[in-house]
Amino acid sequence: MAVLGGDSDIGGGRRQSLLSAVFVIAALALGALSQDAQQGVAGSLRSSVLRPFLALQEGLTLARTRAGDVDALMLRVDSLSAILTAQSLLVEENRTLRRLLELGERLGPRFRSATALRPGTPGSESIFLLDVGLRDGVDEGAPVISPDGLVGVVRDAGQATSVAMDWTHPDFRASAMTRGLEMYGIVENRRGAFREEDRLVLTGTAYNESIPDGTAVVTSGLGVYPRGIPIGTIDGVADYQGTWRKSYWLRPSVLPASVTHVLVPVGTPPEEGIAWPGPTTGSDSGEAVDTLVDSLQVVTPPPSGGPGGTG
Amino acid sequence: MALVVGGLACLHFLLHVGFGAGLAAPDLLTVGLLIAARELRTGWAAGLGFVFGLLEDALSVLAFGANALTMTVVGIAGARTRELFVGDSLLFVVSYFFIGKWLRDIVHWILVGEELRRPFVEQALLQGFTGAAYAALVGLVVLGVTGLSTER
Repeated sequence: MAVLGGDSDIGGGRRQSLLSAVFVIAALALGALSQDAQQGVAGSLRSSVLRPFLALQEGLTLARTRAGDVDALMLRVDSLSAILTAQSLLVEENRTLRRLLELGERLGPRFRSATALRPGTPGSESIFLLDVGLRDGVDEGAPVISPDGLVGVVRDAGQATSVAMDWTHPDFRASAMTRGLEMYGIVENRRGAFREEDRLVLTGTAYNESIPDGTAVVTSGLGVYPRGIPIGTIDGVADYQGTWRKSYWLRPSVLPASVTHVLVPVGTPPEEGIAWPGPTTGSDSGEAVDTLVDSLQVVTPPPSGGPGGTG
Repeated sequence: MALVVGGLACLHFLLHVGFGAGLAAPDLLTVGLLIAARELRTGWAAGLGFVFGLLEDALSVLAFGANALTMTVVGIAGARTRELFVGDSLLFVVSYFFIGKWLRDIVHWILVGEELRRPFVEQALLQGFTGAAYAALVGLVVLGVTGLSTER
């Protein structure tokens, strides 16, 4: 075989060195390509050579979801029904008031459910793939949400699949506020010495105000994320910046590694945010309720524009 | 040899992507490349490394090209070892896979960029060491089962 053998002969050795140099340059050129071109190459590989492997993970994830505990699912459906029933009066009231004020139907977000796939290869630690894309209405910058809160953001949307990053990625930022206290800041990832030590931090809060532990932190709606999506709960002061602002550790609402099924909003982003089910604070007693609430509540908007439109 | 290397590559993606095994599964792509590199000429080993790395880059996205360059370098280095070391002893085979895989992790750590890389101690020393030992063990088993050799 021509490809076998040593490189000791001068002509062959030179050819091999040249070939090696070509591949090294090609590999370097990959890194220098524009992001669109990189996504084009990656997307075509994902939808061709790697498609069977991704499809397998997708199938396994779906099978695992379907094999879930029926009792737990029934609990979710029951609590969901209870919430929808309780809100139906508000929805009707809202619709009547809007009609009286001659306001049109407010456009809320629609959601697509998606399966999150973890590549599990070097360099993809904070990245996951979604089985929805541009043709489903998913755009770059769309938040990725689980029933417990914010998972991450869509980084690149292809036709049928998208690439998203979770909050453990160093580029992750979210404009946030505390629920109830209305204190604003930026949530970002702070890396630990080990991956398990990665934490979320709420930075930029006023120095002279203090936020009690357990206070829920949600998206403020000032950035790409709709208002009201849970991010985490306050878990102590992280540090002080001089005498003018403080940072707080957050206990995340979502552990990205455990997420397999997510929601991605499509269409018009909500103006007033999402009325997220669950408690007004992140107390332990409230967390139990949170886990019972399924994402179906935000998937199924009521006729007058969704739960976000109430009140 | 092509069958074994192709099979290892398929198995790698099956375990890592299909089953999402993560660190529990060995880096069979590097093991396959290291086996092939002892047989192929330098240029072809570089090409194989480039293809393998590109496939991994398609899934890593944010450091696009880092895996391709890393695996190309590993392919070249693996092929070059033929001129430096001849042997099929247990010590050589274990060292070859161990150093090859560790080299792959360290080069990738360097290339992936300051923002994305994990601390050196975690990624290159701890994970790198255990990953290299795992790859050496698996490489040894693959050679034993298939009857392939690292000696030419």
